[in-house]
Amino acid sequence: MPETTTLLAMFEGLEPSAEGVDKLQQLGVNDDDMNIISGVPIKHTILGRPPAITYVSRIGLFGAILGMFLGIFFIYGIPYLYPLLVGGQPIFPVPQGFIITFEMTMLGLMGFSFIGLFVDSGFPSYTPKQYTPEISDGKIGVLFSCPASEREKFIDALKEAGAESIEPVEARHL
Amino acid sequence: MTTAAKPLARRHAEEHEDPRQYLMHDPLPRGQMNDMAMEAMHETNPIFWIVTAILAAIVVFSLGYEWYILIMQGQGTAGVLRPDYWGVFLVNTVFWIGISHAGTFISAILRVLKIESRRPFTRAAELMTTFGLVQAGLSIFMHLGRVWLVYWMFPIPNERRIWPDFHSPLMWDLMAITTYLLCSTMYLFLPLIPDLAMARDRTAGGWLKQFYKILALGFRGTEGEWKNLTTAMNIFAFAIIPVMFSVHTIVSWDFAMASRPGWSSTVFGPYFVIGALHSGMAAVAIVLFLLRSTMKHYKYFIRAEQLNTIGTLMLLVSMAWAYFYFNDYLVPWYGGDVWDKLVQEYTEKGPLAYLWYTMLIVNIAVPWATLWNRKWRETPWLLAIVGFLINVGMYLERYIIIPVGVTINRMPFTWRQYEPRIEIPMTIGTFALFLLLYMLASRIIPLIPVWEVQEGQEAHLIRKVGKAEVSTLSDLE
Amino acid sequence: MATELERSGVTNQIEEGPVGVWGMVIDQDLCTGCQACVAACSMENNVPIVGEEDANYGRYMHWIRIERLWESTEYPEVKMTSFQPMLCQQCHNAPCEPVCPVYASVHSLSEDLNLQVYNRCVGTRYCGNNCPYQVRAFNWLDYNDERVHPELVTLHNQMNPDVTVRRRGVMEKCTFCIQRIHKAEDKAKSEGREIREGEFTTACAQACPANAITFGRLDDPESQINQMAAANPSRAYHSLEEVRTLPRITYLTGGV
Repeated sequence: MPETTTLLAMFEGLEPSAEGVDKLQQLGVNDDDMNIISGVPIKHTILGRPPAITYVSRIGLFGAILGMFLGIFFIYGIPYLYPLLVGGQPIFPVPQGFIITFEMTMLGLMGFSFIGLFVDSGFPSYTPKQYTPEISDGKIGVLFSCPASEREKFIDALKEAGAESIEPVEARHL
Repeated sequence: MTTAAKPLARRHAEEHEDPRQYLMHDPLPRGQMNDMAMEAMHETNPIFWIVTAILAAIVVFSLGYEWYILIMQGQGTAGVLRPDYWGVFLVNTVFWIGISHAGTFISAILRVLKIESRRPFTRAAELMTTFGLVQAGLSIFMHLGRVWLVYWMFPIPNERRIWPDFHSPLMWDLMAITTYLLCSTMYLFLPLIPDLAMARDRTAGGWLKQFYKILALGFRGTEGEWKNLTTAMNIFAFAIIPVMFSVHTIVSWDFAMASRPGWSSTVFGPYFVIGALHSGMAAVAIVLFLLRSTMKHYKYFIRAEQLNTIGTLMLLVSMAWAYFYFNDYLVPWYGGDVWDKLVQEYTEKGPLAYLWYTMLIVNIAVPWATLWNRKWRETPWLLAIVGFLINVGMYLERYIIIPVGVTINRMPFTWRQYEPRIEIPMTIGTFALFLLLYMLASRIIPLIPVWEVQEGQEAHLIRKVGKAEVSTLSDLE
Repeated sequence: MATELERSGVTNQIEEGPVGVWGMVIDQDLCTGCQACVAACSMENNVPIVGEEDANYGRYMHWIRIERLWESTEYPEVKMTSFQPMLCQQCHNAPCEPVCPVYASVHSLSEDLNLQVYNRCVGTRYCGNNCPYQVRAFNWLDYNDERVHPELVTLHNQMNPDVTVRRRGVMEKCTFCIQRIHKAEDKAKSEGREIREGEFTTACAQACPANAITFGRLDDPESQINQMAAANPSRAYHSLEEVRTLPRITYLTGGV
């Protein structure tokens, strides 16, 4: 297997970044071997990237259903287990059912969306990562792997596209 | 007769046409904005620490010592009695939950409606939500007779073979406020992650670096991370709006479900929600003024347009509040139930009528007299004064509903008036704790969501349409 | 009621058979306003003495109070209404019950009384706000403690051992002397019979010198209180009937 090296190209601005991604795609880098690291979210169509897949909404929906069942348990399960008569109201009240079920559904939806973010992104993760602090200062980083022998070709192509720097990057503690 | 057209109007607003006055059209390099946010966080002067020390002393005295007395001696140290079983502690609870609605309004509703001027102050408003809910929770605990047994209200498995009673509006309160507190804290944290990553990158070492590193969760800004984060933020923005409406509605149902004249009103749900927005927007105005005047570089971020947005919202909400208050007022006034009428008479002509008049003046007359004028809205100190007066008025509104309204009931032999006792220092303590938490938070986390500001600035352009320079917002999301 | 639980299909509830449905008739025209019932109730049920200052502020703990209202105060037409003893009406649709978040105020299935469970009460006081008759008393301080009223320590010797002494933070109210009800029930059960009419009565009914308060069973059509209510149809009314709490106390007023 040919040796591959991972390089991080830093761009200033969206136009040069889009050109750089384009050049890399022309040179045969797979979309999966490329990653864009940036300080603001960038819509995938701007850089010509495939849309990112997220499971957060699905996990959130699952949480909403769990929350709904929790709410139904609170308002109907509890009086079923320990019925106590209060004030001439029915033991299984209907209006309170709407209120409690709604609140618990929302709590489940949002709580599990939050957890979904952690699960899907692998947060929290304190292992060494490929990163440079310039990214949080607004620069856009294109992280890609290419065959080691063709390094120079890639570096020249990206310099042409307007990259500020192309360096091999090692995983380091953030 | 000539065909020359007369000028249609004096053009007052020429100077407002320049798009470059807006934050979204005045971009600075991200690195520089990061610098500004970090500097504002780290630079303090001695006055800051003196104020912090005073607030901490007030908190220790009122929430430490006075609350200890309240718990050890009982609710008798407060001013509550029969028939006024609920007093200032409940007023505080409703007031603080009202303040907390501002944060959600700004960071959720304005985000959903894509009102771009909200970008610099969503986090400052969200902090108000979280800290306001903390005060509301404390105030609820203060009013309990046996607060050490409050865990009996939590629906968790237990060995007592009895669970709490969800027929009670107080349990709906517990569920709603817990949901709102957890969700708004999560919603505060989500957009904070990239800014914590920025702070982590810019902090050299020490315990602060560890703190940022742990809380930033290892965020880098890869495509997958941004997609997950923005999806979660969108879910939260849409979902927390109905929760916000439901929370204050449920709080209002604590009173509406009671069979008390003056409380048992069907309009209480929306009336309280609008009241919450009223006091919340006004509190945001005060916070914006304070941030602008005390934090370094914030005059770049918080400009006239932000104050204008808040001022316009304050005016609109005060009109909506007046509408709902009139609804609530008209029905008992017209007649029908003699007890409702008696409550109203006591409010308007009783010994505490001055509170009612003050409330109407500061909630309706003051905003309507001042906020119609754009120049006045954009004056920070004036907006803050109007905001402060509105908050006084909204506190009085809740005071009139709870301790004053509850004096009148269907048993005239029991009518007695409420006087707050230990509630006064404890209320001051909640305000001091709110300010203290806010001031400490401003030292630890950047109050401006710089990545959101940059995101907005990237999406805005100025283009020429004919001879005019026009602001354009592109949909880059 | 029992039928409601059965209708809802719940099968694992603890249920005693209906032992009795208790009620009262209070004749306001006989009441002299002497407050013997108030004193007797306080002594029977260990109701704490609050002291003049707090009682004046509205923290009186009496489970029954004699209400005296003026119809007109213009001389010479100074007229008082008849005295109204006001105590817990033991409503069938008690508004104080559904609002308690911890089930401290529940409805008894067997005696059809409104129960206040002292050791469950957390002190939210929603029940007090919701009672249209304002008969619920809250323990604002530890009034029975010697640190609050050192001069009343010797009064502790007269406390009723059948009744708990409540601490601060707990709501209390008239229980129709449930300790006496239970004592009579236990006695009747052990002798294998029903409770006889007039076998026991509440402390307030026992103390009233004018016999204005009569306590008895509502489910027995021959009981004294049912006969009294039936014999005076034009004088009988329920307090705050329009609130539809279905109280268990019938008042008689309107002159003989």
